[in-house]
Amino acid sequence: MIVAKRKPIEEIKELLSGYQKVLNVGCGTCVSVCLVGGEKEVNILNAEIEMSRKMEDNPIEMGAACVERQCDREFLAALDDKVEAYEALMSMACGVGIQFLAERFPDKPVFPAVNTTGLAVNQDIGWYEERCRSCGNCVLGWTAGICPVTMCAKSLYNGPCGGTNKGSCEIHTDQPCAWHMIYERLSGQGRLDLLMKVHPANDWQDIGPRTLIQPGYEKTVAEGQKR
Amino acid sequence: MLQEVGIDPRRVEMYNLSAAMGPRWAEICTTFTKTVKDLGPSPVWLADQKRKEK
Repeated sequence: MIVAKRKPIEEIKELLSGYQKVLNVGCGTCVSVCLVGGEKEVNILNAEIEMSRKMEDNPIEMGAACVERQCDREFLAALDDKVEAYEALMSMACGVGIQFLAERFPDKPVFPAVNTTGLAVNQDIGWYEERCRSCGNCVLGWTAGICPVTMCAKSLYNGPCGGTNKGSCEIHTDQPCAWHMIYERLSGQGRLDLLMKVHPANDWQDIGPRTLIQPGYEKTVAEGQKR
Repeated sequence: MLQEVGIDPRRVEMYNLSAAMGPRWAEICTTFTKTVKDLGPSPVWLADQKRKEK
């Protein structure tokens, strides 16, 4: 899932300085699961901002809303009637949700309350580890299900660099070497022959904003664009 | 969180006790009331009062 981290309160307050009535919008999907931007976190942040601004003799009224998914139009539509009453919006969704919120309400300033940190797995409650950089060209089939783009500090495609050190990466002893892990797993599976093939680097120059249309939906999308 | 917004964190305390622990509950209430009284009025309350006086 997408994971995020809340911005420091001072940064959030700086973004909201000059505004007296702001609607804080949470998202009920990924950021709720990773405990950063769901209904509960919206209310906590609002309380924090309101208390802090009161003590600075510059009160602010924070509204609260939480939609199922900020990256879907039909859920954002639930905010249409509410937004007018506010000077600005704050979003606790991932970067995708924040942008879609800003796109739906172009007349209102929209501020991020979180930093989106990546695509991660849930290791335990409140503990998330990044596993995918969304590079657009998955190589997991020949790397034993371990992503070298994410897990290798240099995102190497053809084996470890000279910094590999008894299973650790040169950047830190706690950071495992991705290529050591790949080797060990492929070795266990008897698939080391996969390492003999040279793989070209990813075509990073084409990493601009990508659009994905699933097979079978091309016609619907074309009709939608005409409208 | 309280410290971040400038409120003394001693103003909040959490206890875990069962419904059968009446005497302990009374003890906690007495001690904590004293703690809060010693800390004085809440800065949020003071800010509210100041604004009302204006």
